[in-house]
Amino acid sequence: MIERTITVVPEDGLHARPASQVVEAANSYESKVTVGPAGSDGVDAASMLAVTGLGVGPGDEVDITADGPDEEAAIDDLEEILTTPEHGDNGEEQ
Amino acid sequence: MTVDETQSTPESVSGVSVTPLSGLGTVRWYRPEGHPSPEDASAGSPEEEQQRFDDARQLARDELERERERTAERVGDEEAAVFDAHLKFLEDPQLIEGIGDEIDAGEAAELAVDRAYGDAIEQFEGMDGLMAERADDLRDIRDRLLRLLSGGERIDLTALPEGTILLAERLTPSDTAQLDPEAVAGFATVTGGRTSHVAIFARSLGIPAIVGAGDDLLNIPEGTAVAVDAENESVVVDPDEEVRERVTAGRDVTVREERVETRDGKEIEVAANIGTTAEIDGAIGQGADGVGLFRTEFLFLDRESPPDEDEQFETYVDALEAFPEGRVVVRTLDIGGDKPIPYLELPEEENPFLGDRGIRRSLGDDAHLFESQLRALLRAAGATDGTLSVMFPLVATVDELTAALDEVDRVAEDLADEGTEYAVPELGVMVETPAAVMMAEEFAERVDFLSIGTNDLAQYVMAADRENDAVAHLHNPQQPAVLRAIRRSVEAAHEHGAWIGMCGEMAGDPASTELLVGLGLDELSMSAVTVPAVKANITEIDSTDAAAVADQALTAATKQHVTDTIDQ
Repeated sequence: MIERTITVVPEDGLHARPASQVVEAANSYESKVTVGPAGSDGVDAASMLAVTGLGVGPGDEVDITADGPDEEAAIDDLEEILTTPEHGDNGEEQ
Repeated sequence: MTVDETQSTPESVSGVSVTPLSGLGTVRWYRPEGHPSPEDASAGSPEEEQQRFDDARQLARDELERERERTAERVGDEEAAVFDAHLKFLEDPQLIEGIGDEIDAGEAAELAVDRAYGDAIEQFEGMDGLMAERADDLRDIRDRLLRLLSGGERIDLTALPEGTILLAERLTPSDTAQLDPEAVAGFATVTGGRTSHVAIFARSLGIPAIVGAGDDLLNIPEGTAVAVDAENESVVVDPDEEVRERVTAGRDVTVREERVETRDGKEIEVAANIGTTAEIDGAIGQGADGVGLFRTEFLFLDRESPPDEDEQFETYVDALEAFPEGRVVVRTLDIGGDKPIPYLELPEEENPFLGDRGIRRSLGDDAHLFESQLRALLRAAGATDGTLSVMFPLVATVDELTAALDEVDRVAEDLADEGTEYAVPELGVMVETPAAVMMAEEFAERVDFLSIGTNDLAQYVMAADRENDAVAHLHNPQQPAVLRAIRRSVEAAHEHGAWIGMCGEMAGDPASTELLVGLGLDELSMSAVTVPAVKANITEIDSTDAAAVADQALTAATKQHVTDTIDQ
């Protein structure tokens, strides 16, 4: 199992598009992926209900974990989503 | 399906036929919202219920993906993202598991969905801001699932199979605008009247339609063969051979592309009313000489922000180029509290039809929209060879008219200063209010033309709501009071060298053509579908005879006398 603590960048926090992206990513790996406020137990990142229920906003610290055969790739992917400004925020692509 | 208390299918349901067209086809129900109470669902075996839930979820996924695609195309990726979130909730393992548990405990799929989503909604509701919005998302998905479980698949109105007869409680103007006249053989609605917006759209698109059919319509099941019978103003269930032949018999009125005149050589312009450029092809196909009423408000509906000057410019140029020989009469934005436009913050009014609307808003809160619309119009007039005419809606005072004309001058000066190509179009006034009728001389002195909107004129002269079936006998243009208002306006226009047209539904009623020619109207504008019949009538009319009919109708004291005079 891998665990990392990161600061959430997208301005919607874990809502709207970033939340969708997290859930989509979590579902695309075999590993079990969790996300939760730093220092507390995480919730199943594959559940939209659980992820949006956390009420995580931009600037919040979260712990992410991944456990399974592709845990490395899963946690990298999740970290990238949570630390990349939202598409359009910084004018990239177009 | 169980047979308890189910009403038997009626043989036919009568309503109001709003086009002269009939059609034959198969019933598809359009139920955009609503589902039976989940408490009423009876449960099958857990396996069956699980299967029903899985099927509903699959359908919901298909719908959401389609809606996401369409929203991304028409509105933007940002707005489409909400459907991604919905898809994620739909596939949420916690929700799916919770529903599975309820089903295993012997509940119907409906109740299982209602409970599992209900719990989640409750959790989110207690939270603030963004979290409360998630409760709305969950409610949407729950309602979608419940609708699909009750068999109410939301159908894509733009892609109905050929031979569809669409039945609905009601259709909004934007619903109706999506219908493809090639595929839709007709539609019928529980609500609505002859001059309601859905009726106007049906005529524009040339779709057979029965409105105001009442609750009996609800008892016609999905998949039934039905005929929309314009002659008997009814929806006929399982039509026999005789009905089938009659409703499919030729729609063979000859289309005349050329301009027409009366037997004694008086030319009458016959034009089409349109709301969008999508209707132009239909208008040309029916032989319209031009556009007599372009209702520009449809450019502003169903979107997140107003169309900008360039977008409008393109639209007006398209319309003008479609009729190089004819005239295109554009009505400036006619919006009021009855049409919800999110970005305009229209006031809630007790009486939107007597409120802040039409030219009143254009000179007030919507002055910026009026300016950009006028700029687009003047530029379009300068960019093409077609004849553009611009008219103002709901003018009641000379002051309003003067202010509108001043605004045109100001916009023209601005364009000249900028060095932008433009031309000042013909300018006119809609005659829709008793005030406009009384001031018609003063208006006609100041403009090039008047155009009578009979639907609103009848509504305001008779103080009878055009959407209210209970007063339908009053908001009728054949009421003597309305007829006299028309005559007065025609005389005022001609006295001051202005031309005068009519763009209400009366203009497209073939039974009224002789009367209108006799009253002296120079132009008639109508739903495209009635152009051929009116053109044919004009060629049969002698204008001296017509004048006599009009004179006699004007002496009538009752609507019945007017009708009798016309029918003679």
